[in-house]
Amino acid sequence: MKHTYHFLSMFLLLVFCSHSYGQNYTVTGTVKIASGEAIAGASIKIVGASTSASTNAEGRFTLQVEPNATLEVSYLGFLTQKVAVNNQKEVSITLTQNESSLEEVVIVGYGAQKKENLTGSVAAISGKALENRSLTNVSSALAGQAAGVFVRQGSGRPGSDGATIRIRGTGTLNNADALVVVDGIIGVMDAVNPNDIESISVLKDAASAAIYGAQAANGVILITTKKGRNAQPQINYTGIVSMTQPSNMPEFIADYVRHMELYNEGATNIGQAAPYQQSTVDLWKEKNKDPNALNEFGYPNYVAYPNTNWGKEIFENNLIQNHNISVLGGAERVSYNISSRFMNNPGIMAKTGFKRYETRANIETKVKDFLVLGTQTFASIENREKGNVDNLFNFLRQSTPGVYPFYDGKYGGAAAPDEAPILNNLQTYLDGTSGKDQRTRINSTLYGRLNFMKGLTLESKVNYQMRMQEETSYTNPISRWNFNTNSIVAEGLIPSSLTTAQGYNKNYTLTFDNVLRYSAEVNKHQFGALVGHNEYYYNYYDFSATKRGLIDASINNIGSGTEMAGITGTEYDRSMRSFFGRVNYNYANKYLVEVNVRRDASSRFGSDFQWGTFPSFSAAWRLSEEPFMQGVNRYIQNLKIRASWGKLGNDAAGDYDWQATYGPVNYSFGGAQTAALRQSKIANPQLKWETSTVSGIATEFNLFKNKATVEIEYYNRHTSDILTVLPIPLTNGTISAATVNAGAVLNRGVEVNLGWKDQRGDFSYGFAGNFAYNFNQVTKFKGKLTEGWQTVNNAEVYQSNIGDVSSGDLNRILEGYGINEYYLRSVYKGDGSYQHSDGSVNILGGPESGMIRTQADMEWVEAMKTAGYSFSPINNLGKAQLYYGDLIFADLNGDKIYGNNFDRRFTGTRSEPKYTVGFSANMAFKGIDISMVWSGGFGMQYYWNAEGYNNSIVRNGNGIATRIADDHYYYNDADPMDSKNSVNGQFPRLKYNGDNINNALSDFWLYNASYIKLRNIQVGYTLPKTWLNNLKLQNARIYFTGENLFTITKFPGLDPEIGAGVGYPTMRQYALGLTIGF
Amino acid sequence: MNSSTTQGNALTNYISKKKLLIIFAATTLCLSACQKDLLKTDPYGSLGSTNMWSTDNLTDLGVNGVYQALRLNINSGGASGREMYQFDRFVTSQGRDADDLLLGNATTGNGNFSAVWQELYEGIHRANDALLNITAKSPSAANKKARLTAEVKYLRAYFYFRLNQLYKGVPIYLTPVTVAQTILPRATEEEVWKQVLSDLSEVINEGELPNRYTKGNANYGRITKSAAYALRGKVYLYTKQWELALADFQKVGDLGHNLFPNYANLFTEANEQADEMIFSIQNLPIEGFGSTTQFMLGTRSAFGSNWNTYNVHNDLVDNYDNLDGSKFNWDKVIPGYSTMDVRKREVFFLRNNLTETEIRNSSNRGLDMSLYLPTGNEERIKQAYANRDPRLKANVITPYSEFLGRIIEGSERIFTSRWPHRNESGPQYDLTTDTRTFFYYLHRKFVYPGGAPIPSRTAGGIDFPLIRYGDVVLMEAEALAELNRLPEAVAKVNTIRSRAGVGTLVAGSNVQLTKEGVTTRIRQERRAELANEGISYFDELRWKTLKETIFYTGSGIKQIWGAVVIPYVWSGDELYTWAIPRVERERNTSLTQNPGWQD
Repeated sequence: MKHTYHFLSMFLLLVFCSHSYGQNYTVTGTVKIASGEAIAGASIKIVGASTSASTNAEGRFTLQVEPNATLEVSYLGFLTQKVAVNNQKEVSITLTQNESSLEEVVIVGYGAQKKENLTGSVAAISGKALENRSLTNVSSALAGQAAGVFVRQGSGRPGSDGATIRIRGTGTLNNADALVVVDGIIGVMDAVNPNDIESISVLKDAASAAIYGAQAANGVILITTKKGRNAQPQINYTGIVSMTQPSNMPEFIADYVRHMELYNEGATNIGQAAPYQQSTVDLWKEKNKDPNALNEFGYPNYVAYPNTNWGKEIFENNLIQNHNISVLGGAERVSYNISSRFMNNPGIMAKTGFKRYETRANIETKVKDFLVLGTQTFASIENREKGNVDNLFNFLRQSTPGVYPFYDGKYGGAAAPDEAPILNNLQTYLDGTSGKDQRTRINSTLYGRLNFMKGLTLESKVNYQMRMQEETSYTNPISRWNFNTNSIVAEGLIPSSLTTAQGYNKNYTLTFDNVLRYSAEVNKHQFGALVGHNEYYYNYYDFSATKRGLIDASINNIGSGTEMAGITGTEYDRSMRSFFGRVNYNYANKYLVEVNVRRDASSRFGSDFQWGTFPSFSAAWRLSEEPFMQGVNRYIQNLKIRASWGKLGNDAAGDYDWQATYGPVNYSFGGAQTAALRQSKIANPQLKWETSTVSGIATEFNLFKNKATVEIEYYNRHTSDILTVLPIPLTNGTISAATVNAGAVLNRGVEVNLGWKDQRGDFSYGFAGNFAYNFNQVTKFKGKLTEGWQTVNNAEVYQSNIGDVSSGDLNRILEGYGINEYYLRSVYKGDGSYQHSDGSVNILGGPESGMIRTQADMEWVEAMKTAGYSFSPINNLGKAQLYYGDLIFADLNGDKIYGNNFDRRFTGTRSEPKYTVGFSANMAFKGIDISMVWSGGFGMQYYWNAEGYNNSIVRNGNGIATRIADDHYYYNDADPMDSKNSVNGQFPRLKYNGDNINNALSDFWLYNASYIKLRNIQVGYTLPKTWLNNLKLQNARIYFTGENLFTITKFPGLDPEIGAGVGYPTMRQYALGLTIGF
Repeated sequence: MNSSTTQGNALTNYISKKKLLIIFAATTLCLSACQKDLLKTDPYGSLGSTNMWSTDNLTDLGVNGVYQALRLNINSGGASGREMYQFDRFVTSQGRDADDLLLGNATTGNGNFSAVWQELYEGIHRANDALLNITAKSPSAANKKARLTAEVKYLRAYFYFRLNQLYKGVPIYLTPVTVAQTILPRATEEEVWKQVLSDLSEVINEGELPNRYTKGNANYGRITKSAAYALRGKVYLYTKQWELALADFQKVGDLGHNLFPNYANLFTEANEQADEMIFSIQNLPIEGFGSTTQFMLGTRSAFGSNWNTYNVHNDLVDNYDNLDGSKFNWDKVIPGYSTMDVRKREVFFLRNNLTETEIRNSSNRGLDMSLYLPTGNEERIKQAYANRDPRLKANVITPYSEFLGRIIEGSERIFTSRWPHRNESGPQYDLTTDTRTFFYYLHRKFVYPGGAPIPSRTAGGIDFPLIRYGDVVLMEAEALAELNRLPEAVAKVNTIRSRAGVGTLVAGSNVQLTKEGVTTRIRQERRAELANEGISYFDELRWKTLKETIFYTGSGIKQIWGAVVIPYVWSGDELYTWAIPRVERERNTSLTQNPGWQD
């Protein structure tokens, strides 16, 4: 609270110490655009004098002039106009739009800049690109919109569907998320209604992002919300109703007979007893013949002897509703944008949805001519359903078809005696918990802008934002029923064992931000400067309590619980203090230079290491403005080259990592609890900033009379002193390793943006494509990898320091390789000749597929062993060890052991794309408009070995994926003619409850994960004005829109965008929308 | 607005601008100067290292933290495989699934190899930190510091003892070290024993350390001299210094430890501080302070809906003598039992009054249903367990025996282990497991009977014994046998058998009075007495009997009648020594691997 108080008092001081001022001959005027709409903030200068003014919210200005003066009126995006006063007291000026897109204004850190005058790398996405999409979150809307901005939505779960955004690859070994700044304040995307967005700018390089210094190393996403303007209030309603379905679903064997047979196969394959008795298999076979027949208890066979398809069962199609209403307008001295949204997203699984209510008020008032006060306030409330999705996806593969989900008010349990009685019934994870989960956000900025004199303004902001979650949770006692014996297999908990919990957590941030800006223009010299100061404080705390024992299952307030079961609470905080500045200079819009510097101090480091300095320098040369280019401009327009260099920081350490702490653990003596302390994390008092040094060079130009735009950029980002936790020897115990500044990563790449826009009469169309290539390499970590043969005690020994110089296992971090490159065995590939001509074993002559499939293959393995070679991980031959249907791995280091740890190699691939692409197209004809957006990533691989989904292990209580069931090796060595034999199956033989051979990390499970996705398609129709006038409407548009319509990929898993695993699928949506303006 | 006010405004405007600039500058300066504490944040839930050990209370808490390292292997989400009783899966227990160490499939990357190593070294480093700071920083009274130092030294010795049991020769660290310093090569097995003995001797020589705590003492559970004697004696068994071992074991008895009269009741919360207990992990029936035995050993029918992750191996059951002390023989109960096809023996275990379907299914499994007695089958098989060593009944749920279990249909129920399983609910209340199509012996020891005996299945309150006097007596017998003092050895075994209520060993009758004969009986006795206490596996490693005891031909995870569900595979003598974890050898290349293990 001390921070709040301090911030507020300073703010009030700054804002209210002011007086008014004026001059002699007064001219007043109005600045409008052709449609009659007033322009606020247009600048009016007297030609040849230093006086100037700007228009208020109604587009009006007042200026002291000589009666014969000439006024110059300018506004970004419009052609500058000169007007003679000619003794008038009142002038009216209408500005015309500058047709060139280059006049576009782009929001940059702590300011705005004409696109043509940018010296850094900024991708601007207009709010229009997000409009009318059936979006559930802002982040996924950025996919495909800008080169070098890769967006991956990892989950479709309502409320957790925010996408991961990577700007120019992954530059660090820790948190690589971009900084999000909403209306000038560090915030979160969830606290923005997509309909409120005016524009989004992505700051990609140091030149543009250094003004955010220590938090900007992974790029900055600036979101600006719509402000009011001086005009008639315009009421806008947008409504979207969207039909959703999962974009893909996992497939399991639903036929329980087949499931049981496959499990028995897995057990007998390794010489173990079959887990399912033949009598159970036969029973199901018989009952499956007549699924609708009723058993003695009146249950149909399909319920009593189930064959449940869980992959389908848990999903449902639903409708998302999204209603948005806003009022935008202004009156004398006041302008406002007030909006609210209601969204109901039921998700694609029962009890996983949410409802959210949002509202925003952006209100600004001009208290005096030189003083503006305003607020940007956002609030939302979200109510989530309590379906336990995490458990559900954890257990999706751990479910068998032998359980019926729900029938006649009863939940199914294990139907066969061969199963454990408490078998997962996924429906119970959705229905098993009830309670409340309410999340509230408030984000409010109060700001004031003081205009001291021409060109000098001070802007001060105080922001308070908080997110809190209130939760209650109680278990619903669910009994599970066996419908074929009409008995309970697992009885729901009795009231005395039921628990009820209530919890609360909250985080809040306080920000105090002051910026003093100055700008001046003398002849062709334009000069701008800015100094600023920022204070930031973040705090999180939580509290929760659980009680066991309820009076009755229906009474679940925590006060009614009988026995205390637990209370927990935590708290942590961090803070930051910063000073920053910028100077830019522009000569004749031809030569542009900019310098930024920011100094930040973070509480995450010890007092001697808190401060970091982050400078940047950039320059641009607009060649097209040069006289000598006049001839060329016919072919190439607006040619510009720019270059930049700068440093950015990252403070992504734990909040207290630099200090050593002792944390509490539990023990007892003499039957009494006692506290105990032990060192929990190794300290590192020298901990400091991670620094990225970014340089770039780019060229931009237009072709075909500005119809085509081209932007090509090369960048080089080197991150050093990376904050990371290095693996420590096990011998250090279970203590957490210290956070250290270790390692460096290079990201280098090329980005290309291409655009085309044209209009032929009523028909207009455009394309935009972007492409980015990123090269990623760890340049410093723990030293170089050295491996090879060494003589130790007169014996040749193969030695490797891989464990010492790298971290990870499947994915490793090692100097000279990409971050988390795969490190795998290779499957052996022989030529199938088995022997040399002299009868000796040919080490290159083993099975062609690398799997022991035939007797000849097995004989080769035996001959190899006889000849002194061995196989790893398991060398012994036998049903439970190395056998038919197992993989052999290549001996890459030549130590005669096939597939030991030394035979692993880097694959040169990672789970992150080398190439990212985006493509969009749009066209309009009369009232009809069509658009689409594609995005994708290429040059990435996924290692996908997951029990139940994609490997050959059949484990107690799990399901089995169809792709494995249909295509695995099987050989009955007792009966070579067995019709079930499948010696050409792609996957290894089934094994019950584990597999140390085929699951050894190898490239067998590595897949190409490149994909391209149709993100969005939209067809709209705008009603003609003549109809609207009758309806008294300003505008109206109806449209159809689809999200995530299809993916082109070779990856066999659920969705390459989600990753290799299986989680809440992304949604495919078909939506109908309506926008009306009053 | 008229021109005179405009003039005035211009003036005040000029002043205010200046003022404002000053205010802005002052604000900025003030915020950074006055608010220095903005950037100073400290953790809310833990203690900074500068303060640690600086008060008497913090000294106590730090030492308690060393004790807590005994609990590091506890995992409440499922079996870690590393809690002491879970090690019995290699000998007297069996898992529902087999461990890689039993399947011939273990590699140097095995998770237990690395986790056990890491957890024991964690204890060692906590002890080293305490030892240094009790001396250097703690303001506690000198006699208290002396006692605490002895306690911590004992714990360090215990952790090294455990490491040496498994890995045989590990790096020795005796002071706090930095990460960069943890690069020592392995000491030899002998050097580690020497270190353990040296610490234990210092503990024994510490005058401030009590001999032992009696029941009800608030310090109960802390290290005592008797614990040090017992552990040192055990180490002497490893180093084959039998006389020294014997002397230490005798000292334990001298300090007042004795056998609790009732074996079955010993393993309850009421008797966890009996004079028999020497050193135990302290458990409380409170979440986060208890044990997991209920969860891993109990059945679905026991309170808490448990997993029976571990069952009883039928070799242990057959190992229990008849009540009169003679060797149990199946053929005496069911003639021809031992020679018939193992799978066909199932018929004797079937419940009375099988349904037609059950009979049909049984015949389909190849059972000779002419051997089935529709109303007397249960009574016949119960005879096999009726007149046996009472420890069998105390430790094992045998077929058709009862267990007082969880509440269903409103009250706690008596469940019966029957085959084939039908229904957990009334009126029959079949004891229900997760392995209903396999018939296994189930654990009774450390399983809590009744409707709601503990708060949850992972909050068991019974202290887990690490060393108890019964163990010491049998080790005494072992030392005596090694010294060829055979009658004395037999007498020691007989004190254990008498307490259990089983017929004693009589030379020439049920024990051969040769070194080998007596040793064999001692080993059998230890398996029977210490079942499920996390001791037997280490015994077999020490005796080098693993191959014969566990990996004999036809061994495996077995159903009650002996049918192998999962066969065990002997991969070689390397199984007597655990592998140095592969990842550790990668990080510290000076560590050599144990013979037979391939990285």
